[in-house]
Amino acid sequence: MEKRGLFLLAALPILAFTLAAHLFYGFRPAEIPGLIAAFLHFEAQSYEEAVLLFQRVPRSLTAIYVGSISATSGVVLQSLVRNPLASPATMGVNAGAAMFLVAGALLFNIGTGLQGAAALAGALAGFLSCVAVARFAGRQNDPRGLSLILSGALVSMLFTGITNALLLSDPARRSDFLSWVIGNINHAYIDRLAMFWWIGAASIAAFIVLARPLTLILFGAEKAASAGVNVPLVSRAAILAAVLGSGSAVAVCGPIGFVGLVVPHIVRPFVGNNLVFALPAAFATGAVICLLADLVARQALHPYVLSTGLVTDLLGGIVFVVIVKRFYLSPSNRETA
Amino acid sequence: MLETRHVSAAYGKLDVLSDVSVRFQKGRLTAVVGPNGCGKSSLLKAIMGFLPVRSGDIFLEGEPVPRIGRKKLARRIAYLPQDCFCPDYMTLGELIELAGYARYSLVGGPSERDRALYRQVLETVGLSDRADFPVNKLSGGQRQRAWIAMVLAQDTDVILMDEPVNHLDMKYQFAVLELVRDLTETHGKTVIAVLHDLNLTTAFADDVILMRSGKCLTAGPVAETVTTQNIEQVFDLRTQIFRRDGRLVCFPERAGHATVS
Repeated sequence: MEKRGLFLLAALPILAFTLAAHLFYGFRPAEIPGLIAAFLHFEAQSYEEAVLLFQRVPRSLTAIYVGSISATSGVVLQSLVRNPLASPATMGVNAGAAMFLVAGALLFNIGTGLQGAAALAGALAGFLSCVAVARFAGRQNDPRGLSLILSGALVSMLFTGITNALLLSDPARRSDFLSWVIGNINHAYIDRLAMFWWIGAASIAAFIVLARPLTLILFGAEKAASAGVNVPLVSRAAILAAVLGSGSAVAVCGPIGFVGLVVPHIVRPFVGNNLVFALPAAFATGAVICLLADLVARQALHPYVLSTGLVTDLLGGIVFVVIVKRFYLSPSNRETA
Repeated sequence: MLETRHVSAAYGKLDVLSDVSVRFQKGRLTAVVGPNGCGKSSLLKAIMGFLPVRSGDIFLEGEPVPRIGRKKLARRIAYLPQDCFCPDYMTLGELIELAGYARYSLVGGPSERDRALYRQVLETVGLSDRADFPVNKLSGGQRQRAWIAMVLAQDTDVILMDEPVNHLDMKYQFAVLELVRDLTETHGKTVIAVLHDLNLTTAFADDVILMRSGKCLTAGPVAETVTTQNIEQVFDLRTQIFRRDGRLVCFPERAGHATVS
């Protein structure tokens, strides 16, 4: 288990390094000392310093927020559903949040604050419809939670379809949401982050409190209950925290997929299934991946800026294939699993 | 003292316990014995509250068990399920640390006293050098001792074990039960264990509860309860029971074969 110690020890320095790269990459080396001073005093005197403080800092904060919330929610959902494909993106949560937010904005003209509330309601509605469809399909006979993943895909398609229909029906305003709806980290969304960050903070706090009982639930409901865990309460609280936290991330910068699905798989071989260690590791890894994705989105085709959601989907897809091959299909792992 | 009074319970429409009244004596090892599907496991589950009790009461030191909260109950009764499952990448040390959950504060972990207890528990089960070892890579006998360590780390007076020596070979059956026996003798624990093997029961248990079809047929000290007559009633099997080196041995007769004694 030295792997775990190394991973957790390395996580913070890597996060700090990625953050520094995200903030300072692309500036001329000579400008860096002045930029650091501007960063420390939070005062911009030149164009570059303004870019740093009012574009890059907001982008990195948003990336850290979205990455850490999606990744920790993914870890919790995969543990509770007992399926490696569970995540906010695959269980209807992100699609529900996006649909409610777009519907609220386009049909009822609600402001940013209410859009956040709509996203939370949508996240819950998405998750509950996923559970309802799974129940309808006979979830009781399915210990591996596969029906939840399938109905999650179904519900996501449905909600995404409605979102697209709404956007198409309003040519005048759809451009406001076009980049948001595919998931985009943008400095313009810092107002939303300032408004909703506490929801994610509350989710993380809940995860910290629930890490141990959630790990006990991995041993089976009866073993967990005999060790003193209120299984229904802990499960519901954890799911609620994951769903609302993910909903708030969608409210900030749209549905950024794949992070919640992939990060738990990156983390698990190193730190294991104990959520006391897996959650902090996922927090840091999710933040690092979103920062890197945003850095790529910003710099890859400079001066054009890609949508971060596109990059996470691409990166996530590739990483996911590697993970599946490396950890699930390799013969040596099949024996020990 | 743990006691059930006229407990009946059912899984849906299937009655699994009917009118079971038993007392488990403090500081003793009680074996629950009976044929497959007689309600042995159900009795433990009913005590733990995992099986809805239709009628009757369960008391721990005179207090109704269903009224004791989950966390408080976890500090008084520990439970070892029949089939334990450990997630991958989990070490024995983590397993044991998780067991103390009911004693920890909301965000706090184990205290110094807890850590001392965990070291002692590992020593008791003879796995001191395995704390950092993944549970799923332990051998069968070691793994069973790991589960017993988890139960011990819960630090309760009462321990319920559902077939603790299942899937073990004879050597480990004896090693594990020797350990369980020691828990009652030197640590003063009250242990209730579901066992299949009558000879293991007579070798290790103080008391025995004989069950059949969801009912408790008879209960009492091993020497008085394990009799040819009782065993025939419970298992539909004729046995010879004799004493050897101070303990009872059950010797089942084969149908149609005369037994030479």
